[in-house]
Amino acid sequence: MKKFFVLLMTLIMSISLVACSSGSSATDSTPTDEVVDVEDITTLEAEITWWAFPTFTTVDGVSGKYEESLVAAFNEKYPNIKVNVEMIDFTNGPEKIVTAIQGNTAPDVLFDAPGRIIDYGRSGYLVSLNDLVEETGLLEDIANPNILEASSDGETYWMYPTSAAPFVMAVNKTALEKEGLFDLVPSEGDRTWTTDEFIELSKKMQEAGYYGVEIFAGGQGGDQGTRAFITNLTNANLMNADLSEYTLSEAAGVEALTLINDGVKAGWLAANTGGVANDALEHFTTPTNSTFWAVALWSPNLHSARQEELDASNIEAIAVTLPSKDGSPKLEYLVNGYAIFDNKDATKIAAAKEFVKFLSDDEVIGKQNVLATNCFPVRTSFGDLYEGDENMSYYASLTKYYGAYYNTVNGFGSMRPFWWGSLQAMIIDDMNPEEAAVYFDENANLTLDE
Amino acid sequence: MSPRLFLKFKGAYMSKKDNPIMSWYKKLSISQRQTVTAYLFLLPALIFFFTFVVTPILSGLFTSLFDYTTKKFEFIGFGNYVKLFSNTIFLKSLKNTVKLVVISVPIIVLFSLFASVVLYQKNAVVRSVFRGIFYLPVVTGTVAVVVVWKWMFDPYNGVLNYVLMKANLISEQIQWLGDKRFAMWAIIIILITTSVGQPIILYIAALGNLDTSQIEAAKIDGANEWQVFRHIKWPGIMPTTLYVVVITTINTFQCFSLIQLLTSGGPNYNTSTIMYLVYETAFKSPYRFGYANAMGVVLAIIIGLFSLIQFKLFQSDTE
Amino acid sequence: MKKLKLFDFVSMTLLTLVTVVFVFPFYWVITGSFKTRLDSLKLPPIWFINNPTLESWETLFKQPTLQWLFNSIFISVVTMILVCAVSATAGYVLAKKRFKGSKVLFSMFVFAMALPKQVVLVPLVKQISFMGFHNTLWAVILPAVGWPFGIFLMKQFSETVPTELLEAAKIDGCSELKTFIEIVLPIVKPGIAALAIFTFISSWNDYFLQLIMLNTRKNLTLQLGLATLQGEFATDYGVLMAGASLAAIPIIVIFIAFQKSFTQGITIGAVKG
Repeated sequence: MKKFFVLLMTLIMSISLVACSSGSSATDSTPTDEVVDVEDITTLEAEITWWAFPTFTTVDGVSGKYEESLVAAFNEKYPNIKVNVEMIDFTNGPEKIVTAIQGNTAPDVLFDAPGRIIDYGRSGYLVSLNDLVEETGLLEDIANPNILEASSDGETYWMYPTSAAPFVMAVNKTALEKEGLFDLVPSEGDRTWTTDEFIELSKKMQEAGYYGVEIFAGGQGGDQGTRAFITNLTNANLMNADLSEYTLSEAAGVEALTLINDGVKAGWLAANTGGVANDALEHFTTPTNSTFWAVALWSPNLHSARQEELDASNIEAIAVTLPSKDGSPKLEYLVNGYAIFDNKDATKIAAAKEFVKFLSDDEVIGKQNVLATNCFPVRTSFGDLYEGDENMSYYASLTKYYGAYYNTVNGFGSMRPFWWGSLQAMIIDDMNPEEAAVYFDENANLTLDE
Repeated sequence: MSPRLFLKFKGAYMSKKDNPIMSWYKKLSISQRQTVTAYLFLLPALIFFFTFVVTPILSGLFTSLFDYTTKKFEFIGFGNYVKLFSNTIFLKSLKNTVKLVVISVPIIVLFSLFASVVLYQKNAVVRSVFRGIFYLPVVTGTVAVVVVWKWMFDPYNGVLNYVLMKANLISEQIQWLGDKRFAMWAIIIILITTSVGQPIILYIAALGNLDTSQIEAAKIDGANEWQVFRHIKWPGIMPTTLYVVVITTINTFQCFSLIQLLTSGGPNYNTSTIMYLVYETAFKSPYRFGYANAMGVVLAIIIGLFSLIQFKLFQSDTE
Repeated sequence: MKKLKLFDFVSMTLLTLVTVVFVFPFYWVITGSFKTRLDSLKLPPIWFINNPTLESWETLFKQPTLQWLFNSIFISVVTMILVCAVSATAGYVLAKKRFKGSKVLFSMFVFAMALPKQVVLVPLVKQISFMGFHNTLWAVILPAVGWPFGIFLMKQFSETVPTELLEAAKIDGCSELKTFIEIVLPIVKPGIAALAIFTFISSWNDYFLQLIMLNTRKNLTLQLGLATLQGEFATDYGVLMAGASLAAIPIIVIFIAFQKSFTQGITIGAVKG
């Protein structure tokens, strides 16, 4: 016991010593303006860190394995740039990035989506990618101008986009065919339909004993799905044209919320005030007690992630556009891309840019990475990567319906709790649809100035 | 330092006779010596405490006076605090926090006490089995426990609604986590299952250590079970009760992951606590650190008040 | 007496019924790790494992799970040892010595221990990075040692050490250190065992601190590593369950190892503010 205690005390003392001595390692700050002019970039020596959300399809069930293989390929070309891969998760990853920034331990490269990236850029933590976008000729090669809009804050490109895909909805073809109602689903062309057609089918499926589209409002996971679904029903606009104001409380917005409220109360829509998109998807792909004939959030990458479950449940799911009043929906879409943090080290920034270029535009790796996200390339020169895949060519045809990308407005992140909060308040009868719409606009507008 | 000088230096410290520290120590009065000894014993604790707790707390207190986000850092005095008390969501969360503590702490303490009184005289195997069972949710881990409960509470594919509907007790799904009548209780139930393990272990031990001769004597004098409990056992386990109340209160105030994983504070902020709101404010865009720190300070003051009240209550009860 | 038996019977029945909510999640996690995803979600529930599959466990061990397990154990064990050492000495003097500042210090400890760590998270991260510990296992250990809960607990336990015993030792010429090691420690040993268990478990489950402090893949803990397997719109329940089952083992071991010493003779001392 005595020896043990002495050992402990020694341990404590030595730790406190280490604690004191290592505090002095101050970081030298190099001005970022300094341009590293290396004639042959392949000789550039640097060590950079890359943080990635698990957006690429996981290989062999091992997280990070695919990302490591990319680094290995990169090092064949650039042997002197060491890249450390770190995987972060969707549950708490965003918080981790924020604390890392505060603790001066931010990564050099981040693989994420515009919602957060533009925010970091506005706050001054990122390196402008204007030069990269120009240098690689992305501006001339872009498949859809909306994607460029989503990658900048209007002045500066903070994200280097690589792949994109639309968010749509899906229906359970197996169930619809069983009930003989599949011909009420738009299955030709762009598969667009009107709100009236959708409601008619919803009511028929309700009679047949199915649950309808689930209005999930228990958190922010996938809440873009409910935003797009609800506003399209009446062609309402969540924001005005120049994205300077939230406009849900205009007549069309209130009408849309009223429709949702009525649908939930009448039972042709299903409410889940305690669930998120993940729950709705689960209900759709793995029915155990209740079967849902449709789900309000779907995309090519979601489809491939859920294919196994659909097969196990013997369900064939097909994608259709969101129903809208005039039959011409405005779709939300996701964009994947890279951001580079300004860690005050010109060499690292130069290395990071090379790495991003390699991951996005390399002849082989660039295309392979787009495929690994199950999305579409942002470059027209990449061509049709999914040739012969009917399903994917349908998704690809939807670019013309892309709506205004508002995920980059100021305060986007703090608007979201008010979105699902007002839905909850309405469904649990704390507010009527009009009050809910006004409540949302008032609070969401405040977030624009933050 | 030359070896010779080093030896000399070392000698000065090693020989007891002319050690300057020892001779200084000898000159001190007895109470001063007590203080020096005490601080030597406290030294390791104090180093850790000041480095990793006090400094961050002070820095949090300081930054609560600033409009501090990722974008700016401007002094605004008590601006954050003024803003707080006109924020309806904050006030709602404050109410929920107090509600959560006032409801779950007594239930946890009383349930643990009840279970321990019933179990402590049972044979060792029964006692161990139950003790282990009540500790299982802690062993399982919060994330896994929450995943299982979330599935049970699922309105459409959850086992709870399934059973209730099969038994014809309800005709429509209950939104356990999305209905303001149930959501807080759903959280309280899970909180209770994950919190009673420790108190039960402590209570069983405390009851087992009570002086049995006193209890026997009281029984011979004709005291009934309730009287024995009220006048002998209850005072005897009072320190344990204080301890259990304090740790349970702390844990309940910190109840965060349950809310984050189950309801995100909903529906319509009916399960949001200050702890959860602090997290939302600091870690979701636009990262209002100063504002979140101000909430943290208010939370700290409330927790401090609770502790004070508890200490006062128990002190007057034991004296 | 009859009344008492009835009370006992009713109470035992009640307790036994209540155990369902305690046992079920654990049971479901263990069995879930051997089931297919569809089987775990089916209604009516599949209570037993019909088609046992090791798929989830295989996926789990394709990750550097053993490294993560080791990190988790290292963090919890070192935190446990340091907390016990630091708290035992501090708790003893706070309970048994009169000295200047003891009241102030104790009030500070009591106040600080109640504070949720999230409140000071950003300053703490800054502090840790400044000291150069960020992204090392020490970044998780050291703040946990600073948290003064253990001191409070050990002070309560140390109150039970009879003052006469300490005075007798002093008269015999025992040094302060010797008194502490030979007289105080054996008496508060069950208390230390209790503190050891609580510290091990709370540091094992302190997901948030680990998340914020550790980045590098080889530095992750079991809980953190499992989280990276979850996608935005899909959760692999099987792997989560397998991971949770694996994570439960060390806690069970610790619980059993310390249970004996801390369920015998554990007493909490007198109440003083």
